[in-house]
Amino acid sequence: MELLRASSLDEVPGGLPLAGGTEVVPLLREGLLHADVLVDVSGLIPRGIDGSRIGGGATLAELEVDPQVPAVLREACRLAASPQLRNMGSIAGNLLQSTRCWYWRLGYPCRLHGGDRCHARDGEHREHAIFANDFCASAHPSDIAAALVALGATMRTTRRELPVRDLYRLPTEDDRRTTTLEPGELILELDVPPADASTYLKAMDRKRWAFALVGVAAVRRGDETTVVLAGAAPIPWLLAGPLDESTPLPGTAYKVEIARALVERARAAVAG
Amino acid sequence: MARLIRTEKEVEGRREEVWLVVDEDDLEQWPAGPRNVVGRPKTRDDGLARARGQVRFTADLRFPGMLHAAILRSPYPHARAKRVDLDHALAAPGVRGAIGPGDAPELSATCEYEGAPVAAVCADSMREAHAALALVDVEWEELEPLLDADEAVARGKLLEEPRHHERGDFERGLAEADVVVEATYRTQTVLHNSMETHQSICRFEGDVLEVYTSTQYVWGVRREVAKTLGMPADKVRVVCEFMGGGFGSKNSPGEFTYVAAELARRTGRAVRCALTRREEHIAAGNRNATIQRLTVGARSDGTLTALGGEYVNAVGADGWNSMTEGPMLMLYECANVRSTTWGARLNLPPAKAFRAPGFVEGTFGLECLLDELAAKLGLDPLELRRRNHADRDPGGSEAYSGKNLLECYRRAEPHWERRHEVRSRSTATVKRGVGMASQVWFGGGGPPSYAWIRVGSDARATVVTAMQDVGTGTKTTMAMVAAEELGIPAEDVTVAVGDSLRGPYATLSAGSSTTPSIAPAVRAAAADARRQILDMAEQRYGKGVDFDLRELLSLLGNSQILGTGSRGPNPAGMTVLTFGVQVAEVAVDVETGEVTVDRIAAIHDVGRVINPLGASSQIEGGIIQGIGHTLSEQRLLDPGSGGILTTSLDAYKMPTIADVPEIVTDLIDLPDAQLTSLGSKGIGEPPIIPVAAAIANAIRDATGADVRSLPISREEMLRALAEAKEKARGAATSV
Repeated sequence: MELLRASSLDEVPGGLPLAGGTEVVPLLREGLLHADVLVDVSGLIPRGIDGSRIGGGATLAELEVDPQVPAVLREACRLAASPQLRNMGSIAGNLLQSTRCWYWRLGYPCRLHGGDRCHARDGEHREHAIFANDFCASAHPSDIAAALVALGATMRTTRRELPVRDLYRLPTEDDRRTTTLEPGELILELDVPPADASTYLKAMDRKRWAFALVGVAAVRRGDETTVVLAGAAPIPWLLAGPLDESTPLPGTAYKVEIARALVERARAAVAG
Repeated sequence: MARLIRTEKEVEGRREEVWLVVDEDDLEQWPAGPRNVVGRPKTRDDGLARARGQVRFTADLRFPGMLHAAILRSPYPHARAKRVDLDHALAAPGVRGAIGPGDAPELSATCEYEGAPVAAVCADSMREAHAALALVDVEWEELEPLLDADEAVARGKLLEEPRHHERGDFERGLAEADVVVEATYRTQTVLHNSMETHQSICRFEGDVLEVYTSTQYVWGVRREVAKTLGMPADKVRVVCEFMGGGFGSKNSPGEFTYVAAELARRTGRAVRCALTRREEHIAAGNRNATIQRLTVGARSDGTLTALGGEYVNAVGADGWNSMTEGPMLMLYECANVRSTTWGARLNLPPAKAFRAPGFVEGTFGLECLLDELAAKLGLDPLELRRRNHADRDPGGSEAYSGKNLLECYRRAEPHWERRHEVRSRSTATVKRGVGMASQVWFGGGGPPSYAWIRVGSDARATVVTAMQDVGTGTKTTMAMVAAEELGIPAEDVTVAVGDSLRGPYATLSAGSSTTPSIAPAVRAAAADARRQILDMAEQRYGKGVDFDLRELLSLLGNSQILGTGSRGPNPAGMTVLTFGVQVAEVAVDVETGEVTVDRIAAIHDVGRVINPLGASSQIEGGIIQGIGHTLSEQRLLDPGSGGILTTSLDAYKMPTIADVPEIVTDLIDLPDAQLTSLGSKGIGEPPIIPVAAAIANAIRDATGADVRSLPISREEMLRALAEAKEKARGAATSV
């Protein structure tokens, strides 16, 4: 395997982009990603935080302590991963994480791998989805994505501008991808509009360094509060109605209960 | 004077009669309490070097020309490799050797569990070795796996005959009871996850096979490897200088050693076989799951009249049927006890010993049952335990060599008293409570173990024994004992361990037996040297004259004082055990099921404490490992195929430092007057034993919910809370 460093965005050679490497390297090791060429893009992706603009290369560790960053995003960063991972992991990379579904990670021929069934649905699925889980029951792992969708953040890529929400798509029979990012397209920058109040609450199997069983991002602007869940659907899940509309599996019913409590707490915390 | 005796040897509850050659251990015990060195806290001799990454673990060793081996393992829980073709793998880049079923011990075409070793390759790099595994062509025949423990018992798929214990008359005991409580408890499969994965480097030096390995038993590996490979034992040299943890999973050579040895033989090179973290999660041993169907009967004053247990150990494809019934048989005075233990043979990776195997699981069941009884009787749980204290070993008529459990209970009182204040801090959503649990375990060690000592003209001493320090601080303990006996500072004692070629036999580091086995041998060796020094002093200065040790020893020049020592026998006709009690404080978020352990007080009776700092570290480590077992760790399987799903450290959730509560340790520190010249027992295992029950009982105290399954995950906590609510509603309705 070859590791190249691109000198400008115009000259990014074909290959697998690598920034912090906290997701790509394990996936390569597990044989879930394949690449002959890795392209280190960490020098090309904007970094730093300037008002509402956040460089795609900003690390979670930078974000969690910066007062310019809305509380929901700071908290989502602080509660993610471990200090070591947060020092390395970039916000753009975090948005592109693959699910932690063990069937997917172990290479079971599941729907996300192009197979014809979801092994989790009738298998071991205690960490899995409570919404939109009919085709694939994987749960989206990113705390940060939930926070950004709740904030109504937008992103600029090497090809377009789009709401963060539109980065994600539910996998379907015809297209198993969970993001809309095209091959070679890189996330450059995020624009995060301010909020009147916001918070992120997270339920984990241990106090730190675990993916969300349920993560709740709540953002209030004026009278309107937006709630987005992590760990609840194959993509960050905008909570449009009551939790009664969820479709938990036998082993994820408990998540609905947790979500109910945390949503209520989050709403109370951001109430004007 | 060597003496041949017939004695009973116990390791983690397994007893056998053996012949042993022992030396009389005629040294007087030191009086209780801190001495010049012994009994005073001491940091580890290698602590700084470890923190700086300067010590060399087996994982750090590299030899010139060394090859790396990787093992092909069964991807199925039950399968047969009908054909294994190594040709393509052998032709792959960097590959130097490949072996298949039957080529090395433990490589087999018949696979009774996922991860069973089938074949292996070695290559110039680990990457090439792993890449070549994909080229081994195997024709698999998949077979139906058996995964359910109760089903295995029903079908008679057992590791051995069910184990029955009966004392008194269980049925009569139940008839005499005013109150009977029955409950089923379940514990999950958990993994050791030592920081250093299982590994060995093997190389032939002439006709000597050198095995550099991460092991808890240098001499056991030497014996087993020699026996299995048909070599004289002195032609096998086993080295383990620094070790990155074992917790019971590294008591024997393992397939990785045999793979490395065979590939070393074939290639003439040093071959390293190190398990990956993923292999560590699959095929490196585990604490087996259990099902415990328990019954207790008691009079209204709390006196136990009957204890009954049906225990199913979901052992896996092989392993051993650990003593899950042990706490029920040993912890309380109860005239009528009946237990049966089944070892269910399943198509799952074999269980291995794991820090107090059986007793961790059995204590969770028994001590939760006791609290459920206390609640039903309206008795204080601490008082209930006191009323049923066993003054003599209830399993036989033997006396204890020493037992201070009542003193542990007394010292637990201030922690127990905190429950009123703790409960009062509860809110509508966060309920707080306090729970306790007792503990019984072995930990007396035994013969044989030997130590040598040399003292030079610089008044420094070196202790030599082919013991291993598995990371518990054994070397520091030995240095302290030698220093105390010789009257020199511990810093002036060097301890050399971990090489079967360079020191005498020492026992395995399991069953909390390291310190109680080797430390008396070290003291005996130092005393042997000291007697010689006193002889010398008498010749130099006259009888009974005070002398300066340094001045005397400076006369030695290149001469050395050499001492030898051995571990004497355990006291005849007595039961040697360790005891303790822990009090846990928890907070339960009743809406989200989050359990937070705020504080654990641990009071343990392990005889004389040689190094209080090392002992409290062991207690802290045991409690942290116990918290993982109680709250977050579980090996999960795909229910359909039996495939293991938690194969990484993010899927398998061990506690982090953020999960660690305030830990208060208190050691009784009274020498066991009957046990060796030190009166010391082991502390490795006792502290993990009561953790789960203490936490579960604190949860019951806080919420009224009966948690009977481990781990107490969010879903188990919420389930138990809902059940308790339902029960309360039912009770209200029936009133």
